[in-house]
Amino acid sequence: MTAPAAVEHWQGDDVRLADVESALAKLRAASAPPGSPPDLRTSVMTHIAWIPAGWQDQARAALAGMAEQHPSRALMLFPDPDSGEHRIDAEVSLECYAIPGADRNICSEVIELRLFGARAKAPASIVEPLLISDLPVFLRWRGEPLWEAQELDQLVRIADRLIVDSTEWDDLPYPYTRLAELFDRTAVSDIAWARTSRWRAILASLWPDIADVGTVRVHGTAAQAHLITGWLRSRLGRPEIALEHVPADRLEGIDLDGSPVSFPPGDPPLPSDVLSDELDRFTRDRVYEAAVLAAAQ
Amino acid sequence: MAVDTQPTDENPLLEGLSLRRTPDPCALVIFGASGDLTHKKLMPALYALMVRRMLPPRFAIVGVARSDGDDDAFRKDMKEAVQKHARDEFRDDVWNELAESMHYLATDFADEGGENALADLLTQLDAEHDLGGNRVYYLAVPPAAFPTIVDALGRRRTAKGWTRLIVEKPFGHDLESAKELNRMLWEHFDEKEIFRIDHYLGKETVQNMLALRFANGIFEPIWNRQFIDHVQITVAESIGIEGRAGYYESAGAIRDIFQNHLLQLLALTAMEPPIDFTAESVRNEKVKVLKSIHTPGPKSVVRGQYGRGYIEGEEVPAYREEKGVAADSMTETHVAAKLYIDNWRWADTPFYVRMGKRLARRETTIAIQFKRAPHPPFEETSAEGLRPNVLLVHVQPDEGVSLAIGAKVPGQGLSIRTVHMDFLYGGTFRTGMPEAYERLIVDTLLGDGTLFTRADEVEEQWLLVDTIIAAWQRDRPGFPNYAAGTWGPPSADDLLKRDGRSWRRN
Repeated sequence: MTAPAAVEHWQGDDVRLADVESALAKLRAASAPPGSPPDLRTSVMTHIAWIPAGWQDQARAALAGMAEQHPSRALMLFPDPDSGEHRIDAEVSLECYAIPGADRNICSEVIELRLFGARAKAPASIVEPLLISDLPVFLRWRGEPLWEAQELDQLVRIADRLIVDSTEWDDLPYPYTRLAELFDRTAVSDIAWARTSRWRAILASLWPDIADVGTVRVHGTAAQAHLITGWLRSRLGRPEIALEHVPADRLEGIDLDGSPVSFPPGDPPLPSDVLSDELDRFTRDRVYEAAVLAAAQ
Repeated sequence: MAVDTQPTDENPLLEGLSLRRTPDPCALVIFGASGDLTHKKLMPALYALMVRRMLPPRFAIVGVARSDGDDDAFRKDMKEAVQKHARDEFRDDVWNELAESMHYLATDFADEGGENALADLLTQLDAEHDLGGNRVYYLAVPPAAFPTIVDALGRRRTAKGWTRLIVEKPFGHDLESAKELNRMLWEHFDEKEIFRIDHYLGKETVQNMLALRFANGIFEPIWNRQFIDHVQITVAESIGIEGRAGYYESAGAIRDIFQNHLLQLLALTAMEPPIDFTAESVRNEKVKVLKSIHTPGPKSVVRGQYGRGYIEGEEVPAYREEKGVAADSMTETHVAAKLYIDNWRWADTPFYVRMGKRLARRETTIAIQFKRAPHPPFEETSAEGLRPNVLLVHVQPDEGVSLAIGAKVPGQGLSIRTVHMDFLYGGTFRTGMPEAYERLIVDTLLGDGTLFTRADEVEEQWLLVDTIIAAWQRDRPGFPNYAAGTWGPPSADDLLKRDGRSWRRN
């Protein structure tokens, strides 16, 4: 990860979206020294992050590791619906990275919007004017979505892909049932699922012996335990496969009918790399969807 | 590296898993292990692949060279090379793992003793690391050494495992020697086992030419004589011969660059869409282009040799003043040519190509110049700064693509000028670009020959070069005819001026 060569910054309270757009244009113009060619804005997507209270730090950390690989306009939405005020505060940053061998920078835009009171209730109307035309829209929802909330409904409607991390959810596997209701509306990625990929490759290498497995013991998060078991149930066509979950902060081991599976080679991917991989996906992940449905049974 | 979704007929757990294809266990034997290529390119590439876990889990490297030495000395030497030339930060844990797999054998391979020693070492490594008898032999040696090595390897090859042979350029000196080299290789190796390297094909931007053309619906319909006025391909180096007078005196720019890199760039630019991206499909289309190149007449190919001049403000010697170069050398350091491709797509569309050493700057570009708008409805003065649309593929440096378009200058009236829309690789995808050799080594380990040159491609390239060189025997240009640090001799400019065109301003 490289630190930006330059960061241009603008902040405003109780703003209109036109103020944000105007600030972006000014920051772009100001980012290059006088007489130099203007910096480049290259984007491959609009990345919306819905970040309820308590998730700010993690969200910023994940974004910091990603801007280099996925130049984008990032719209970070911090809802505060219980506030007594009704307004939008904005911070706009232009993060510019030096292009090796060229005297120009390449810039990514980060727009942080704090949505107070009623302004947090209709986020799509705030986001849509700021989307980059013709580019895919990825929605990262921090924490467990409010399944009945109109905010989720609105943002899913404009997103090409919803990215969640079911490790952040309580009371699994029930929320998977609610998640499955979105499958026909938008493609879904789950970072918890992505983190199991190295282990799934190891388990796949155990075919055909694994076909008769009766009990899977997973030492990891609840999400990983349910998703791996759901995956085996759905792929092997055996819904009776039982799960024994041994809680751990990360996936530390899997036993099949009491026999431990060998540890996958290499280092686990960084959080920003996992998110980055999901941003490279554009189609529905039918295998994941089947695993979720089987996990929720 | 190619990412495959594995077949799912038998194993239902593989569906949806994006598994990186892992090369089989094998031994990589590098002949010429004490040479520049090994130090500057191969070992840094192997280190980069180790960092990214792209080498086989069971792997051995055997360096073979004439210099005295042992495993420890070889590892020390290679460690320094990696620290100096690798694109990744040096990590002891990665290096130690790579170094463990490295061995060295000092032999000139001229007698059975050397052959036996290598065979014994490989047998031992097979047993220790379960390599399955799989071998990659990398001939990073001068062509004169090929026959001895190839013959020895061929005579001793066994039925166990697979064998692949990487052959570095130059592949022959002319058509006859290239054919002879092919015949020699085929005595012991199947064409599918031979990987002729043209490292330009390993460059990301060269492969991006295929993505640009065949992944974008907007370009292919206009990628023909109806819409393209002409194509310019430039392979320019600002460096001189860097102490390689022995090679360069007999090769010249036409064998060093034109025969391989330049003709490959031209083939990728002009080829028809392949039916798929397999090795045979892509190479079949490239061969068709090479076969279609009209033999240029003497006036369509010009050559030059640099005299003294300035590079980056520093005076540099003339070619004939370089160490090891004859004082009356007639070796060309610059070639410019106008080529035509005689097929339905390109008939009458000139491909102007130029390449050389000690030119004004290092640059490899492919410029597609489109025909002018038929009737711009503007006053002549308002559009005087307007140039034709050009799609510019930057191969190196500043890898990327630019499109020159006409745009209105803000303000009163209607003044139009040319602006560039840039896509820079380094700007959009900031993940490090792999070096060409990393890609090519992995492809060899996987047995994928798509980015390597097939025998018939090489022979077609030499056929054209031999014809041009034969014509050169009939005249004797006054060398030197361009100053170092310029874009070549005036005759190269005349080549386009005669057609009412000019080289793009670099």
